[in-house]
Amino acid sequence: MSFEIPIGPQHPIHVEPIMLRLKVEGELIVDVDVDVSYLHRGIEKGLEVRPYIQGLYLAERICGICNCAHSLCYCLNVEQLLGKEAPPRARYLRLIVEELSRMHSHLLWLGHYFHTLGFETLFMYFWRDRERVMDMLELITGNRVTTAYNTIGGVRRDLPQEAEAKLRRALDYLEERMKYYEKVVDGEPTILARTQGVGVLKSSEAISLGTVGPHLRASGIRHDVRLDDPYSGHDEVPFNVVTHDGCDCYARVKVRLGEVVESINMIRYALDHLPSGEYRLKIPPLFKAPEGESLARVEAPRGELVHYSISNGGTNPYRYKVRTPTLANIFSVVYMLKSRGDREVYIADVPPILGGIDPCICCTARVLVTDEARRKRRILTLTDLRKYSQGGRRVRG
Amino acid sequence: MEEEEVVRRIRERFGEKLLEAEVIGRRRVSVRVPPEMYKTVVEYVAKDLGLEFLGCVSGIDRGDRLEVVAHIGYSLCVLVKTSIPRDNPEIDSITDILPAASLYEREAHDLLGIKFRGHPNLKRIFLPEDWPEGVYPLRKDYSPEHPKPLRRGGSG
Repeated sequence: MSFEIPIGPQHPIHVEPIMLRLKVEGELIVDVDVDVSYLHRGIEKGLEVRPYIQGLYLAERICGICNCAHSLCYCLNVEQLLGKEAPPRARYLRLIVEELSRMHSHLLWLGHYFHTLGFETLFMYFWRDRERVMDMLELITGNRVTTAYNTIGGVRRDLPQEAEAKLRRALDYLEERMKYYEKVVDGEPTILARTQGVGVLKSSEAISLGTVGPHLRASGIRHDVRLDDPYSGHDEVPFNVVTHDGCDCYARVKVRLGEVVESINMIRYALDHLPSGEYRLKIPPLFKAPEGESLARVEAPRGELVHYSISNGGTNPYRYKVRTPTLANIFSVVYMLKSRGDREVYIADVPPILGGIDPCICCTARVLVTDEARRKRRILTLTDLRKYSQGGRRVRG
Repeated sequence: MEEEEVVRRIRERFGEKLLEAEVIGRRRVSVRVPPEMYKTVVEYVAKDLGLEFLGCVSGIDRGDRLEVVAHIGYSLCVLVKTSIPRDNPEIDSITDILPAASLYEREAHDLLGIKFRGHPNLKRIFLPEDWPEGVYPLRKDYSPEHPKPLRRGGSG
């Protein structure tokens, strides 16, 4: 006899609202239905009614953690439409900040993953070390989370003078820590018992289900947008694509640990070979993009991110389509959660399997977060802000 | 495989029936086909050319017609495009060739009202349950509501 267990939309194992309806027979999961609609904000429509420069801010807010990937993808798209390319220094700076945000995302995920497994100490350790990355992001971009660093035609500010030495110190520290974590993960029986052989997704299944990112690489497929479709200096900065043949949750942990180390090396290389010159092109805030279409792909921390834009020659995009990595991966979660053949999936396996893809529901449904922090002596009206964003009259805050 | 090579092979296979096949950028190829050939071309690109990975399926409202675009390929990306009439937006589902299309087609169905023939589970994905039937937010004739902003101290 089977019955249904709802997990969500609000549940301690979910960071964001998502509904899993599990059909179980005893402890065994036999069927799953997933609902990701709780955070839909209509951002694609929102992008159609805004000039390109305002869309940048909206695109950046599709996801808090991968904001850097979204803004980069948006900028690449608009630059493609305009037939321009960011100067070499900007490409390297974009790469540095992108890799920093990948490290921050992976460390956050690792901490949270071990938290869902009940390993609280490791959670604290990872999040403490993540603070070093956040400090570096703040030093370079001026912001901790939503970096607002990429802009159409380059980046918004140059690398501060004192940043390089500090950045190198932080990277040395993190490299040591990653060696330690590697040892903990390999030697801790609790972690091995909860992750090895759990949530198996074979290579062929991973491809046909369209999975992307670390999740795909943990199934032994060597695909990385940075390698296959280099977009921001990735053809010049050497790096290894980390893969693992385990095809299970353990492999997903190992891939992300390895990717943090790769990011450290990439940033070091980029600092060593940072080109001189301009860090942004001068592009007026309001412009018309020539008629055409462009497709940009970025390897976000969670996997391949696709932005597809169509211009009809106006100041706004005619259509802007976003495909986020979690939407691509959620389908494989449904597949992995079902027991089939000799592969048995238990209720206790739900957190490691769902957590294994690094789910980001707000990405998937594209929500909008509002912020009311910008209040000083007077409140700016929407019209003021709009003028300000288009580079018109300067408004004193 | 190079972009030109892909265009040449697609032209060779489908010849006259293609409406257009061209390289639109580095690692980007665009192919426009009539709707009845959409599925065959997707199958050819995914299986015979070995690109096998579905990036996404986009729906676009072009005013007088709707457009469906399948983005296929890991490194080289082929956009297979087709136009369908606005008053009867039906197209073959590609879920049996590329299972990953399942959620993307549901998204296009939900937000643009495109019907995918043969989709195993074509139901709502993002819009709320009480959303009115026949209203599709990503169509151009839909304009979003602008609720009045809440202001502190004001009457609203």
